[in-house]
Amino acid sequence: MASPANLLRLCLRPSRRLPNLGASAARQFAHRRPLSTTQWRPAPTPKSPDDEASEKAVDDELEKAFKNPGEYFNSLISDESVSDEERRLAQRMLEDWNKVPPAEQQDIEQLAQDVTKEAAQLRRPVFVKRDSFWHVDEPDQDLITDEVGEDDFEEDDIMAMAHAKLEEHREFREYARIAVWEMPLLSKMAKPFEPPTEAEVLRFRYTTYMGEFHPADRKVVVEFCPKDLPDLSEAQQLKLKKLAGSRYNPERDIIKMSCERFEHQAQNKRYLGDLVNKLIETAKDPTDMFEDIPLDTRHHKFKPQIKFPKEWYLTEERRKELEGQRKQALLLDGQKRTEGALIDGVEVIQHAMLHAKPVETVPVLRRGQRGRR
Amino acid sequence: MSAPSCLRCLVRPSAGVTVSSLPRSSPLAVARAAPFSTTTANLRPKKEVQTGGAPKGHVRSGKMLQLGKFKKGKAGDRGRTPAPGERKAYRKRITLSNDNAIPVPWLTDLGPADLANPANTARIMALPTEVQDQLRASEAFKPTQCWGMFRKPAVLVRKETIDMANRMQNAADKRHTLRLVVSGDKLTGKSLMVLQAMAHAHLNNWVVIHIPEVQELTTACTEYAPIPNTDPVQYMQPVYVLKLLQAIRRANEGVLSKILTVSAHPELSQSMPPNTPLLALAGAAKEPDAAWPVFQALWSELTAQGANRPPILLSADGLAHMMKVSDYRSPAFDLIHSHDLALVRLFADALGGGLRLPSGGAVIAATTRSNAPRTPSMELALAQREAEANKGLGGPSSSGAVEVPQRDPFFRGYDDRVEAVLRSVQVLRVRGVDKLEARALMEYWAASGMLRATVDEKAVTEKWALSGGGVPGEMERAALLTARI
Repeated sequence: MASPANLLRLCLRPSRRLPNLGASAARQFAHRRPLSTTQWRPAPTPKSPDDEASEKAVDDELEKAFKNPGEYFNSLISDESVSDEERRLAQRMLEDWNKVPPAEQQDIEQLAQDVTKEAAQLRRPVFVKRDSFWHVDEPDQDLITDEVGEDDFEEDDIMAMAHAKLEEHREFREYARIAVWEMPLLSKMAKPFEPPTEAEVLRFRYTTYMGEFHPADRKVVVEFCPKDLPDLSEAQQLKLKKLAGSRYNPERDIIKMSCERFEHQAQNKRYLGDLVNKLIETAKDPTDMFEDIPLDTRHHKFKPQIKFPKEWYLTEERRKELEGQRKQALLLDGQKRTEGALIDGVEVIQHAMLHAKPVETVPVLRRGQRGRR
Repeated sequence: MSAPSCLRCLVRPSAGVTVSSLPRSSPLAVARAAPFSTTTANLRPKKEVQTGGAPKGHVRSGKMLQLGKFKKGKAGDRGRTPAPGERKAYRKRITLSNDNAIPVPWLTDLGPADLANPANTARIMALPTEVQDQLRASEAFKPTQCWGMFRKPAVLVRKETIDMANRMQNAADKRHTLRLVVSGDKLTGKSLMVLQAMAHAHLNNWVVIHIPEVQELTTACTEYAPIPNTDPVQYMQPVYVLKLLQAIRRANEGVLSKILTVSAHPELSQSMPPNTPLLALAGAAKEPDAAWPVFQALWSELTAQGANRPPILLSADGLAHMMKVSDYRSPAFDLIHSHDLALVRLFADALGGGLRLPSGGAVIAATTRSNAPRTPSMELALAQREAEANKGLGGPSSSGAVEVPQRDPFFRGYDDRVEAVLRSVQVLRVRGVDKLEARALMEYWAASGMLRATVDEKAVTEKWALSGGGVPGEMERAALLTARI
């Protein structure tokens, strides 16, 4: 517990900003051959032998320097390849090292050995077990904490979840700072809206999902009115509409096309631009003007614009007119009533019943009733 | 008649009879069978088990599944079943008078010039008795019309009627042919316009040939036969033509008896010397085989050049059936176009102007909205003629520019022959009646005792609005045919 390596670890641990050793080590997976029957051998490295040698030499030197500084300095001084200045520096450091009492020297050497030993685990590449179920041993990269040993509480720090919460809070505050201090500066970059000029006849529409990946974010739509295209005659415009087929909307007089064939927005837009150019070029081609083909609008359903008729609005004038009509009708009815010309169905029937001749019951001789059967 | 059922009543076992007629010993017998029971005793005497002899009926009779199809007919008097055709005759009967209806005192009979006189607008006028008979002979009345509610048949003289009668009169005066299609929405009175045209013609001593339902000619419900020596082949419909000849004969008896033939008709089996009355010629066909030649002879006499003939009215109802491919098949099993049927072709030629009537007259056809096949060409042609007429008038719409509808270039179902026929006809669009006419109509109903309400402006406006702006058929539905008394 009180070993120097453990002390070092404890010192390192609170500072979470440091790159996580475990995580960085775990990243080097040997994924090269997920399924194989033969033993794995590293591929011959393409590096030059000089590079390899120098790398190995550096590693060795570091190891030597940490394991036994005294010997290392001695070897440096005796080495002929180093410069005088370096040699002098090594001489000075060797003198300092010799001043250190032997017990401490031993301690330091021990510490170096311990650190190497502890770090060896981390430096070893981690292989995913071949037969693991759903890669259970593989650490999850998306979690906010590394789950390795996070449950063993050593009474010297808050828990990993709390650290994560703190981190989240820091992130909120960072964005709040940006919103308060940096976003207002964006207004300096604002440009006034300029409506498209006569020359800009194509209207493109893009879709963004705020940086997220989406299958539709590559789609580009272009709309234009054939009338807006410069130097196209009436006949050429008509041919353009016929070429556009069902992409032409006769009600709005607009051709609308879209493309999501390619991977990037820019590619799709370029394709659409080329297509429009090609369409215009073909429309201008006088060899076949499609005069025998009528403009096909079967794809479009014309919606009748139904509006409330103006004459039906109950304006003051209309109200007066209606009142006048009603008065006239009442007068007419009254006049007819006084004349006796107004016809009442019920009265007519009653009158007819009163004046109807009584039905005379004529005795009818009924013959042959009995004799028929 | 009730004797058998009464006898059956006596025979049928009823509870009282059974109990009283039971022998006294039977309760004892029952008690012996079940000394103590919570259910009621079965009092029905058991059937005696047959001993010896073949069992009657099936072994398991009474337990067998009886399907409805094989069930034996129930015994019993169902009364007399209607004879074949009796139900249809009842459905199609036409009643022209109602003795219980109150006679309307101010009703006057139509005179020869009444239908063309603008002073008679919005008046109800009665059809004279002889005209009634003539119209009935040529089946101008229809069972769906409300003739049977009033004392005598009467018609409303509308603005359209006067317009049409004037056009007819002008055509007859100038020896032209009026070619008119009466069109309009459902129940607006298209058939009645034709009836009024026929009445006008009869009153003015025209010869009237009326096809009451064109669908009878083209839906393959009457016999047909190719006419020899025709190219392309035309078809006659002998049975229908015989019926038509008889109708013509009865309807135009007075006129035809005064007209004499100008030429002998050697192709007929009977000898027809010149100066025979046309009535005799029309009556020459006694059998369907002779009908078509006789009709041709009659037609050639009626349209004879130089002879002084009365104007002719050719009228038909249900024009759409005439303007389609008929349901008849040629010997090669191809569908026959309606215009290849000789009678229809004659009418279509007259309507299209290909056949001139030397003494003038009118060809009037009414469209139908309820029973009509879809005929895009006819609809388009009528819309075009109407738009052209509106354009000629300067356009009644405020926009001014009346667009003549054109063919849809991507639609396949147009018929050139139909469009050729309808290229130069006049279209009379019948709409709802105005309030004055509606009031006249409702006053007539009330005076006949058929409408129990005071006919004032309020009632008229209400019914007028209810009927979609005075559509007469809808007004009848709203006021006359409701059961609210």
